[in-house]
Amino acid sequence: MRAIAKCILSFLIAAAALTSASAQVQICPPRPLAGTLVVNPLDLYSQNGVLNVDLTLQNQFGSDGFEHYCYVYLYQGQQVEAPTLRLNPGDHLVLNLTDNIQAPYYRYPKQKQMNMVMHQPPRPGTKSSDDCNGGDILPSTTNVHFHGLNVPPVCHQDDVIYTLIQSGETFNYDVQIPPNDNPGMYWYHPHAHGQATTQVDGGAAGAIFINGVIPGTQGLPERVFVIRQQFKNPNSWLPGPNQLTVNFQPAIFPNSPSPYINVQYNQPEFWRIVNASTQAFLTLQLQFTSGFQQMEVVALDGVPLQNPLYESEIDLPPAGRVELITPGLPNNEEGQFFTAGFDTGPVGNPNPPQQLMKIFGTNDLKAKLRPAPAPTKPPADRPRFAGLLTQQPTTTRSLFFSEQTVGSNGPTQYFITVNGQKPHVFHMDDPPAIVTNTGAVEDWTIENRSGEAHDFHIHQLHFLLMAINGVPVQNPELYDSFTIPNWSGSGPFPSITVRMDFRDPNIAGTFVYHCHILDHEDGGMMAKIQVNPSNQH
Amino acid sequence: MKKLVVSIMVVVLCLAPSLLCAANKSAPGAPPVYVITNDDGTLHSYATFYVAGGMQGDPTLSYLENINTHGFGIGGGFFGTPRLAMLPSSSAQCLYVSNASSGDIAAMDISTLQLVGNFLGSTNDNGTSNGIGMVLNQNYLYAGYSLSNTIATFSVGAGCQLSFLGDITVTPLNGGWIAGMALNGNMLVVTYIDGSIESFNTANGIPISNNDKQNAAGFASAYFPDGVDITQDGHYAIFADAAVPTTVEVSDLSSGKLGPTIPYLVSEPTNVIGPGVNSATVRLSPDQSLLYIGNSQSGTVSAAFFDKNTGKISPGCASKQLKNFYNPWSYIGALATRDTGGTGTVLYAAEFGSSIGILNVTSTGTTCTLTESASSPVTDESSPGLLSIEVFPPRPF
Repeated sequence: MRAIAKCILSFLIAAAALTSASAQVQICPPRPLAGTLVVNPLDLYSQNGVLNVDLTLQNQFGSDGFEHYCYVYLYQGQQVEAPTLRLNPGDHLVLNLTDNIQAPYYRYPKQKQMNMVMHQPPRPGTKSSDDCNGGDILPSTTNVHFHGLNVPPVCHQDDVIYTLIQSGETFNYDVQIPPNDNPGMYWYHPHAHGQATTQVDGGAAGAIFINGVIPGTQGLPERVFVIRQQFKNPNSWLPGPNQLTVNFQPAIFPNSPSPYINVQYNQPEFWRIVNASTQAFLTLQLQFTSGFQQMEVVALDGVPLQNPLYESEIDLPPAGRVELITPGLPNNEEGQFFTAGFDTGPVGNPNPPQQLMKIFGTNDLKAKLRPAPAPTKPPADRPRFAGLLTQQPTTTRSLFFSEQTVGSNGPTQYFITVNGQKPHVFHMDDPPAIVTNTGAVEDWTIENRSGEAHDFHIHQLHFLLMAINGVPVQNPELYDSFTIPNWSGSGPFPSITVRMDFRDPNIAGTFVYHCHILDHEDGGMMAKIQVNPSNQH
Repeated sequence: MKKLVVSIMVVVLCLAPSLLCAANKSAPGAPPVYVITNDDGTLHSYATFYVAGGMQGDPTLSYLENINTHGFGIGGGFFGTPRLAMLPSSSAQCLYVSNASSGDIAAMDISTLQLVGNFLGSTNDNGTSNGIGMVLNQNYLYAGYSLSNTIATFSVGAGCQLSFLGDITVTPLNGGWIAGMALNGNMLVVTYIDGSIESFNTANGIPISNNDKQNAAGFASAYFPDGVDITQDGHYAIFADAAVPTTVEVSDLSSGKLGPTIPYLVSEPTNVIGPGVNSATVRLSPDQSLLYIGNSQSGTVSAAFFDKNTGKISPGCASKQLKNFYNPWSYIGALATRDTGGTGTVLYAAEFGSSIGILNVTSTGTTCTLTESASSPVTDESSPGLLSIEVFPPRPF
């Protein structure tokens, strides 16, 4: 009798497994469970000046109830998600991206359907059959933005306006890292207008590193953290149930144990963190048993700082990167790494405090991590944007973020407007809001006239942060994304003043600037800038 | 001399109470003026009654009572959705309060301040996304459900009872949802917050489209009509645009249909910081000389001069930013006037967050002022997100 029962039980288990397997074909790799060890993403290194990568972007509802958008890389016969790409200055990144997104219309609410079929007309004077020549932007359309890389906005490189990859297509990117680009952390993510939020929410993001010397970090164990945010209903503009993840592991303490890492006692580490969330503003803090710790910030947005900053709290907006050295964990202590929460304003989205990781100490040498790879080339004599601070701006401009909405729950129209122009929801076929020339150096003051924080970002360039609310910054640094807090409702609008560097002739072309809260970008808070070669006006 | 001063002071002190009473709208003997809110609470929702009072130029509100709607709200939604409805008559005794989450309409007797009952439409009707708007006449109440995009018709019976008659489904031109509603005679005008608007004939009870669905002129600029009001004679419909500069649009209804809208950009007043932002709600003054406009995202109220004969609008005045904007309240919702004649004298503004703004209105016919009263704002404690406000006795149209 017992044997029969065992047999029946085995049969039932097998049947259940078969049913489960047939119901859930594995399209995206399984993601780590909550409360497990955080490991670095798979590293891919350039060889002989080239990094060849084949990625497929696919999507699937996971057993966790979230829709996963996964950059799949085949490694030793296994699917690996969103590998880290490591290159040297001057190297070529050859990325063959296959779009395998399955996104039928019926999945989307009516309002979304109305907005989702956007169309980018071809470039003037070209044929629609040419590469990078626009087309429909469907839920299954994608492309890639190499965020922070100072590379040309042209076809097969970092163009997000005319490069639209449709489901079933494979597209070839060949991006040369500028020989004088700064060593540091960058990232890649989809940027098809109207679809970026859904795809990035689903996890489509990965880290890029340009190798080089970042003073003070040599030989230190290196950790890479990609912080994402997943939403139960990514198609709703309202921020419904969502959770932060660290290297795909949910950080949802106390509902579940936190992700954790094991560090060598008393061993400082080199942490490289990208905020790959679509709308979470992070305020990062490190706490050991003995108290809050100062972190030595050595690079921001992929650019080494002139002098390190010692901070116990680091604000990291969506798309921001920070590279830092942590103090060693004292013997017999534990720690936690968390975001302390961020107030995005009275009409902004909630950003509650959240523990991101627990930190445990060990003396086990097996837990030791590799350091960041040593550079293979000497640093450039004159890195990108060198001397920008002392340049005389050729033009000054004023821009502002604003919103209009039909109700407290939206839908909201989002604008970024050049002063004097009319607030306008971005459309793909808009003419450039700004036209300039290579060689120009411009100072832009960007105000926030809305009741929620925004996150200014421009493609192809880093900008020098010159002033905040009109007050000059003491030691201007380079960024590619920066927070402008909400307007309080009275008094001057919060603002930043940034210096834009269009001196590099490779920057010629048309590209975009926008709020990097991706809901806002998809909702129209974006505009084009056209940079003409300096011999054209 | 000293004796004379003392005598004058005595006389003044003796007369003061009667002077105070003369200026107080809730003076003993006079029918009270109620300011009513739909608190739209998510755990329990009330209609809160306040009594208008105070001195001339210094109006106040005194809390009177919460009446439980026995339903649930959603704590927000479209600015232009009318979540409170009553007949435009001082003899009206029925107040209707929509419950967006539970999907019902609570009927209340104003004379007894009692809940009469809760009434449901069809199982299709759903306003959980952005609210349920209502308008009514002597015979019918029309409820617009924002998520299902349905307009339910109820017959109005004795004792404020409602009987569900049927639904129609609306199909906005650009994928929007029903938001603003206004009714005059048999003309029902609605906004769809996607730039499109439509009118219906209600002569036979269930609304029938006048086949005039159209994009308002502001649509080209992405200005989306939200709230709507209709003139007393039914000649014009006035739409409030969710637009960065204060913008309203006027449609001529004299053909029995919505005429093409004429947009009016109400130019920047001199006494506010920047132009009004997001002018999503409108309310005509009782004498129709002024059009009040709620600039929901700049925390200001504008008043424009309205010519009821031509439907033309010209800039008037604007309030300073109302107190506590963005700290803690964040949007201006519906507007309502205290008095049933003239300019209304006192204007109430629903403040999402939640409180009630109180403004004094003055007008010479060519110039005007809107000044927040010293006692403003009044906290509406039981509302998590106030957007709808009404006054009883109501404006007479």
